[in-house]
Amino acid sequence: MDSIKHINIKNGSNSLLGFNSLLFVIYGLFIIFIGFPIIYTFGTVLFENDLSNSFKLLNNATFSLLFKSLILASSVGIISTFFGTILGFLLYKTNLKFRSFFKIVLLIPLFISPYILAVAWKDFFFFLFGNSSIISSYFGVIMVLSLIFTPLAMLIIGSALSNINSQIEESALMLVSFKKMVFSIMLPLIKPALITSFVLIFIFSISEFSVPAFFGVKVFTTEIFTQFSAFYNHGLAIIQSTLLIAICIILLYAERKYIADAPFLSVGSKGTNNKMYDIINYRKLGQLFLIVWLIISIVLPFIILFAQSFKGGMHSFIKAFNLLLPTFTNSISLAFVAAVISVFIGFIAAYFSIRPVRVYKSFEWVLLLIFAIPSTIYGISLIKFYNQPEFGFIYSTSTIIIIGYVGKYTFISAKLISNAIKQIPNSIDEVSQIQGISIFSRLSKILIPIILPTIFIAFIISFIFSLGELGTTIKLYPPGTEIMPIKVFTIMANAPQALISSMTLIVFSVTLLMISIFYFMLNPFIKKYHSIND
Amino acid sequence: MKNLSLIIIIFMASIITACNSDSNVVVVYTSVDQVFSEPVLKAFEKETGIKIKAIYDTEETKSTGVLNRLLAERNNTQCDVFWSGDPVRTIVLKTNDIIQPYNSEMAKGIDAAFKDTDVYWTGFSARARVLIYNKDILSRADVPQSIFDLVKEQYKGNVAIANPLFGTTTFHISAIFNALGDDRAKQFMMDLKANEVIIATSNGDVKKRVMQGQVACGLTDTDDAYEAMKESDNVDIVFLDQDGIGSLIMPNTVNLMKNSPNAENGKKLIDYLLSKETESRLAISCAQMPLHKGVETPQDVTSLDNIKPMSIDYDKTASKLQEIQLYLKNWVENN
Repeated sequence: MDSIKHINIKNGSNSLLGFNSLLFVIYGLFIIFIGFPIIYTFGTVLFENDLSNSFKLLNNATFSLLFKSLILASSVGIISTFFGTILGFLLYKTNLKFRSFFKIVLLIPLFISPYILAVAWKDFFFFLFGNSSIISSYFGVIMVLSLIFTPLAMLIIGSALSNINSQIEESALMLVSFKKMVFSIMLPLIKPALITSFVLIFIFSISEFSVPAFFGVKVFTTEIFTQFSAFYNHGLAIIQSTLLIAICIILLYAERKYIADAPFLSVGSKGTNNKMYDIINYRKLGQLFLIVWLIISIVLPFIILFAQSFKGGMHSFIKAFNLLLPTFTNSISLAFVAAVISVFIGFIAAYFSIRPVRVYKSFEWVLLLIFAIPSTIYGISLIKFYNQPEFGFIYSTSTIIIIGYVGKYTFISAKLISNAIKQIPNSIDEVSQIQGISIFSRLSKILIPIILPTIFIAFIISFIFSLGELGTTIKLYPPGTEIMPIKVFTIMANAPQALISSMTLIVFSVTLLMISIFYFMLNPFIKKYHSIND
Repeated sequence: MKNLSLIIIIFMASIITACNSDSNVVVVYTSVDQVFSEPVLKAFEKETGIKIKAIYDTEETKSTGVLNRLLAERNNTQCDVFWSGDPVRTIVLKTNDIIQPYNSEMAKGIDAAFKDTDVYWTGFSARARVLIYNKDILSRADVPQSIFDLVKEQYKGNVAIANPLFGTTTFHISAIFNALGDDRAKQFMMDLKANEVIIATSNGDVKKRVMQGQVACGLTDTDDAYEAMKESDNVDIVFLDQDGIGSLIMPNTVNLMKNSPNAENGKKLIDYLLSKETESRLAISCAQMPLHKGVETPQDVTSLDNIKPMSIDYDKTASKLQEIQLYLKNWVENN
């Protein structure tokens, strides 16, 4: 028996070695294809040019603007996480009516470009007050971004809530009241998800350019854009971007430190069902909250979009459809492939980021670095590196777009997946390791089935963001390539409002359709391994 | 799992098939709105059989995305032809030494004022800066006739201009600086600010604010203004300063990129863009004013012969623009 065990452990060690090699290959490829172009551009700009004048321009006004952006991004992070927690709880932990409907419908703001939503909200405020000056302010930017990113918080937190071991909740309920259990047990258990939600939304908000630019609100990204596009001062723009990246790194470091030091409870096996609650006394209030949120975040802007689209009958809608038709296959394919690659790399990075080896952890940091770079600078970095005759097979084809998407969004997949892995007790992995089960079997038969819902959510988020990505794609798309968001935005200039609104509605419908298809195709797999469906 | 693998393979295959290469092509980057430029390019493709591969710009990036991309690609040019909505961007490219001269036969009928002296770029179909106003707010008699009227008390808080750091507004302001001299121009800008001018995000935003009645009037380009007039009956336009410094005229410009990969096809496209047919087409689609004589235009398109143009040297204006950018940035931020 001993000898069999010895052999198994040896096999396990061999497979671990193989898996480590796989990690290094993927890590290496990521660095070569995505990390190195960034280092190359930043290195070229920072070390080859005389930036003393640019550094002089980093004055008090710059730092004051940075501070304002920090406040703005923090506000959006806190508001979105707060409302995302309420929505996540109501939709993933209670038996309120029409939960499945709300789960899908409330995601809608994520499907639409922030710029389009900003336009719709500005029109709505004008319709309501006869003036849009109220929304053309910091308040407006915070409001619109919070409405956009709350669904992201809802997804992350909802996923964490449904992963909590029901036995812990049931045991707690035997000792304390429901309210106390929520605040003392449930929320501390999902602390990593709450922090992840805040951090991701903070980074998204501080990097967001289109909404503050549209509302005429000056933030750090609009300043970077001005340096880049009005002054053609690429050096200063890159130095300013470096400040943004530094802030994101500090934030992530603090998050890591906090999570590591927090009294973090490992959550048990996901073989147990998600416990659902009947909030008898608050049922009406909960239902009302969902309806009010639906009206504010979706119905109101959509009324504007619909009214504008069909003002002159179906003509604009048909024209919009014909304009977008050539973009569908290409856009969906690229987003799909990028999302698959992002989730794959994100899983590898996440799996190793929780190991106590520094080189493994560095992968997630690299992902963060790239995620935090403003889209325009990221796009230019890829151009500067890949626009060489020998890289024509990448730069002149859609491969460059996939590289752009993967670099930009793999961090999100890695973050979500590592968060899910952290909720699994090490003992499960350790026991199977002692049994000599190979790492590939442990991953495919134990770990991946447990975190399959999170993998699916990571895929969906990567897909949605890739499908709607504009800032980097506009810099990279090969001439003649038809991409959905690019088409909407290039047509937008000087096109009638009805056409623009129609295009927005079509983009939204296509995104929703694709997500529904993925859901119905992948749901049987998820159900097979994991009863996530409440 | 098999189904999933199949889907991935299909998607991968569709991407690979989308990446086929073609030699009879011309690559064009344009900052002209896609709704107006694409039909012209499609017509060229149909007439010549040369495949057009185009990159268009977005309003979100204030139409500077394409220009920045051209600058970033300078070491390995992908683009053959750059079609710009105004001369400023082309002059930036010329300053950066990434375009080459091309003297098109088709440009013979175009006035030398609209061409680069070394034919690095050639102008065609022009737009003008105009005042768009809301007829429900301003009667014809109350409409400003000069840009300098905009600082009058009666228009306080009721005038919009786009962010002068970008696009044609920056060009307009630098032309005013050249026309008036720095001191008078700065005084005018101060007066505008004192009169609580609204800084909109773009010319499109100016148009929208006027149409909605948020402001009485605003400065914009003729193509935006004509689109507004198509969408709404409550707006009209005025060519300013017809008794004074004149209206700013901004031709489209086209140029051949240095080391253009498909230079011969690029020249054919430039010839096509500079033709009377293209000018006629642009006059119909977006009320642009032809620079050739004798081009048929719709009745509502004003002829250049009927407008007093602002006297302008495009190179000097572009140079002034670089000089005053920091001043304009401070002007916007301290507004």
